[in-house]
Amino acid sequence: MANYFNTLSLREQLAQLGKCEFMDPSAFSAGVSFLQGKKLVVIGCGSQGLNQGLNLRDSGLDVSYTLRESAIREKRQSWKNATDNGFTVGTYAELIPGADLVLNLTPDKQHSSVVAEVVPLMKKNSCLAYSHGFNIVEEGMQIRDDITVIMVAPKCPGTEVREEYKRGFGVPTLIAVHEMNDPQGDGLAIAKAYAAGTGGHKAGVLMSSFIAEVKSDLMGEQTILCGMLQTGSLLCFDKMVEKGIAPGYASKLVQYGWETITEALKHGGVTNMLDRLSNPAKIRAFDLASELKDIMRPLYHKHMDDIMSGAFSAGMMADWANDDVKLLGWRKETGESAFETATNTDQAISEQEFFDHGILLVAMVKAGVELAYETMTSAGIKAESAYYESLHETPLIANTIARKKLYEMNSTISDTAEYGCYLYNHACVPLLAEFMQKIDLDVIGRGLSLVDTSVDNRRLIEVNAALRSHSVEKIGQTLRGYMSAMKKIV
Amino acid sequence: MQIVRVQHCSAWFNDSFSLRAINWQLEPGQCWVILGHNGAGKSALGALLAGAGEIRAGHIEGLPPRVELVSLASQAALIEAERAKDDSDITDEVFAGTPVHELLAEHCRDPELQAQLVQLFGLAALLDSGFRQLSTGETRKLLLIRALVSKPDLLVLDEPYEGLDAASAAKLAVYLAKRASITPLILILNRVDEIPAFATHLGLMQGGELVQQVPSSDHLARQQMLQLLHLQTSDLSIPPPDPAAPAPPLNAAEPLVRIRQGRVAYGDKVVFSHLDWCIQPGQHWQLSGPNGSGKTCLLNLITGDHPQCYNNDIFVFGYQRGQGESIWEIKQHIGYVSSSLQWQYRVSISVQNVLLSGFYDSIGLYQTATDSQRSIVRQWLSLLGMDRRSDAPFQQLSFGDQRLVLIARAMVKHPHLLILDEPCLGLDDMNRQLVLALVSRLCNESSTTVVYVNHHGADVIQGIEHYLALPGNAAETASAALVP
Repeated sequence: MANYFNTLSLREQLAQLGKCEFMDPSAFSAGVSFLQGKKLVVIGCGSQGLNQGLNLRDSGLDVSYTLRESAIREKRQSWKNATDNGFTVGTYAELIPGADLVLNLTPDKQHSSVVAEVVPLMKKNSCLAYSHGFNIVEEGMQIRDDITVIMVAPKCPGTEVREEYKRGFGVPTLIAVHEMNDPQGDGLAIAKAYAAGTGGHKAGVLMSSFIAEVKSDLMGEQTILCGMLQTGSLLCFDKMVEKGIAPGYASKLVQYGWETITEALKHGGVTNMLDRLSNPAKIRAFDLASELKDIMRPLYHKHMDDIMSGAFSAGMMADWANDDVKLLGWRKETGESAFETATNTDQAISEQEFFDHGILLVAMVKAGVELAYETMTSAGIKAESAYYESLHETPLIANTIARKKLYEMNSTISDTAEYGCYLYNHACVPLLAEFMQKIDLDVIGRGLSLVDTSVDNRRLIEVNAALRSHSVEKIGQTLRGYMSAMKKIV
Repeated sequence: MQIVRVQHCSAWFNDSFSLRAINWQLEPGQCWVILGHNGAGKSALGALLAGAGEIRAGHIEGLPPRVELVSLASQAALIEAERAKDDSDITDEVFAGTPVHELLAEHCRDPELQAQLVQLFGLAALLDSGFRQLSTGETRKLLLIRALVSKPDLLVLDEPYEGLDAASAAKLAVYLAKRASITPLILILNRVDEIPAFATHLGLMQGGELVQQVPSSDHLARQQMLQLLHLQTSDLSIPPPDPAAPAPPLNAAEPLVRIRQGRVAYGDKVVFSHLDWCIQPGQHWQLSGPNGSGKTCLLNLITGDHPQCYNNDIFVFGYQRGQGESIWEIKQHIGYVSSSLQWQYRVSISVQNVLLSGFYDSIGLYQTATDSQRSIVRQWLSLLGMDRRSDAPFQQLSFGDQRLVLIARAMVKHPHLLILDEPCLGLDDMNRQLVLALVSRLCNESSTTVVYVNHHGADVIQGIEHYLALPGNAAETASAALVP
C-alpha cells in the first residue's frame, strides 16, 4: 500500500487540502430518508460506535453491530454495550453480507486488518464509512471499486454526541466522500443522511475531504494539542523548582493550570484567555508568545512538511512494525520525568491564581494555537479545519492532563498522536533551552509583583488589537456562534 | 459539641443569593428543624454551617471541625464529580461510575455501622455496582450512609427523605430518632408532616432571613408558624394550547400506550419482566413501587429514552416501535417531568426560553418561537407568579421554582400524555399544593392523560383511578437491626 496523498498531482493535493465548507441547513431537508429501510451495520462498540448507533436508531434507522467472534464468545465489554442496549449483534460473516452501509468505528490501528477482513464480505455497491481517514490517506488502503467510501466525523467525544442528540440538538460534524470510491455518485447523499441521523446537521456540518481531515488532525495533535502541552509542562515545572518553588505547588499549578486557562480559551478564544490576566501581565504574555512563536515557527513548519510528505506516517508505521520500540521507550521516559513523579500540594489554588501565576502557560498556549493554525492554513488547509484541529480541541486535551498528568494524556490519546507528541517534545525542549534561561518566577510560579498595575495606553491598545484581529479569533467567533446554543453553564 | 453561635451573620452565595443578619444559637442536645418556602434560604443556611458561602458581616463561633451536609446540591455535586471521572470520551470505554463500596469507604470511620446501614437500606446487593447504575433513590441512600458513618460532630440533613420510597423513609426516621441523642442534628424539611417528634426547635426562613425560632414545646407559636407556610394560592387557570400548532390527532379507538410482556434487563439482572400495561385516552394512572423497582425504566420505554424499547412489544401514539419512526415523532405527544430532567437541564437559558422549549421537546431552545407561543408562555408565567422573572437565567432559580417551570414546560403544548415522575420531589408544601392542584385540574379539564409517579401517599391527585404498582426486589424489603 502506498501513501494515497503522494499519488496525487499537486493540483489535486491542493484541491483536497482546501476542501472545507460550512453546509447550509437546507442541504439536510431530506433528513435520514436516503438511508431509511437500509441496513446499517456498525463495526466496534466503544463510545463512538455505541453512541452514534443509538442516535441513528432513534432517528428511525435499522442499526446492528458486528464484532469479532472472540468478542462475542467471551462476552467482552463491546458485546455487553451492544446487547444491553437492545441491538442485534453478530459476527462479520453473519451481518456484513446483508449490510447496505458498514460503519467502521474501530481504532485507527485496527483499520487495516478490519477493513481487509470486512470488505470481501460486503455486498456489491454497498458503502463503507470511516470516522477518521488515516487508513485511506496515509496507509493507502484501496477499497473495491464498486464500494462507496465516505467519512462522517462528529467533532466531539461519543458521550457528547449522544447527550446533545437527546437534548434535541447535535454536535458539529465533518463529512467527506472519498473521490476514488464514489461509483454511483451518491456518497454525499449517504453522508448527509448519516450526519442527520446522528443529529450533527442541527449543530453544523463541514464538508471536507479525507485528506484535509487527516493532515490537519495529525498536525494539530502532535504540535499544539499534545506536544506543546507536554513540553510546556516539563519546562515550566523544572524552572519553578530550579528557582525555589516547592515541587508540590509547581506540579499542581501546571497540572490544573492548562485546564483552567484553556477553559477560558474554549469560551472566548485566545482573546478571552489573555483578557483574564491583569493588563501588565497580558502585555507580558503577549510579548513572551511573540518570542516563542519566532523560536518555534521552524519546528511547526517541519512537522507540517513531514506530515505532508508522508515521512511522519512512514516513520511511525516502521515503529508499529518494530513492536512500538520507540513509542514505548519514549512513554517510559515521560513517565519518569520530575513533573510526572512529583506529588501535588494540598494547598488550594484559586481559578484566577492559575492565570496570575501561569503567565508563561498562557503565552505557550497562545503561541502554540496560533502557530499550528497559521502553519496549517499556509499549507493549504482551510481556516475551519485548522480551527477545529487547534483551538477547539486544546481544552479537551488539557482536561486529560488535569486527570492524571502526562500519563493520562498519552495513554488516552491515539497512538498516532502520542508518537507525534514525543517527536515534537524531543525537538522543542532543546529549542527552548536558551529562552527558558531568561525566565523567572514572575511569569511562572509567583506572578508579577506589582505595586501598581499601570500600563501604557497605546501599548495596551496595540496588544488588544493584535489579539482580536488574528484570523483564528475571527473564524473562532463564527464557529462558536454556530454552537452557542449548546454552551453549558460551567 | 460546644454551643454554636451565629451572630449577625450575612453571607453571600454566588452573588445571586444572600442570607441576611442571621442570629441563631445551637446548643448541645437540641435538634432543629428549618422550614420555609422554596427559595427562602433553608438550604443556604444548612450549607453555611458546612462552610459554604462568603461571610461578609458577623461571624460564627464554636462550629465543630466535622460538619456533614447531605442535600440535593451535594447529591448533584457527586453526580457531577462522577461525570468528571468519565474518561469514555478518550478511552472509548463505557464508564459505569465508581463502585458503591469505594464511595462508602472514602468517608467511613465506623465500618460496623456502615455494614448495618447498608443492610438496613438494602444497598448490599449494589456494593459492586457503579455509581451511575444507581437509581435516584439509591444515590440518596448512599449519600446518607456516607454522612452517617463519618461520625460527624454536627449533621445537617437537607430534605433527607426526598427521593426515598415510603419504606426507606420510615426506616430513616426511626434511625434518626435514635441517632439524634448522640449526634447534634439539623433537619431542613419541606413537608410539615415530616417534622419528627424528637425535634426540639423549629426555625422558619423567609427571604434569606431566619424570621422565626420556636421551641417545639410552645404549641401555639408552632401552630402559627406552620400556618404561615400554608399560604393560600390564587385561582388557577390553565393557558390554552397553541392554536396555530395543535397536537397531531390520534385515532381515538386505539390506546395511547400498549406494552405487552415488557421486560428490561442488564445482563442477568432483570429489572422487571412480563409486564403488560395499556393506557387508554383519558385514563389517568398512578405508578408506584420501591426504589430500584424500575418505575423510571418503564416510563423511559414509553418516551423512547430507554434503549431496550426496541426489544419490546410497544405501541405508542399509533406507532409500533422499531418500524422506522424517530423518537421525535413519539416525543411530540408527550410532556415529561422528572428530577433527572432537572439535572440534565444545565444549559444557559432564560426562564421564558425553557418554557418555549416545551413546544419543541428540546433541552435548550434551537428554533425561533412564534408570537402565539410567546403569548402562551407569558400566561404560564403569570400562573406561576413569575411574570417578572421571564428573562432571568433558569439556573438562578431555586430548585423548587425550577421544578415549577419544568412542569409548565411539559404542559405548554397540551400533550396527549403527561408523565410526571415524582413531580413534587424537593418542593415545599405551598408549591407542592400548587403543583398538585394544577395537575388535578389538567386531569379534569384538559384532554391530556396523566401518568403520575409518587412515593408519598399524601400527594393525591384527584381524578386518578388507575394504579400500577411495581414489585420491589428482595434487598429493598429486607430489614436489619438498628444500631445508632
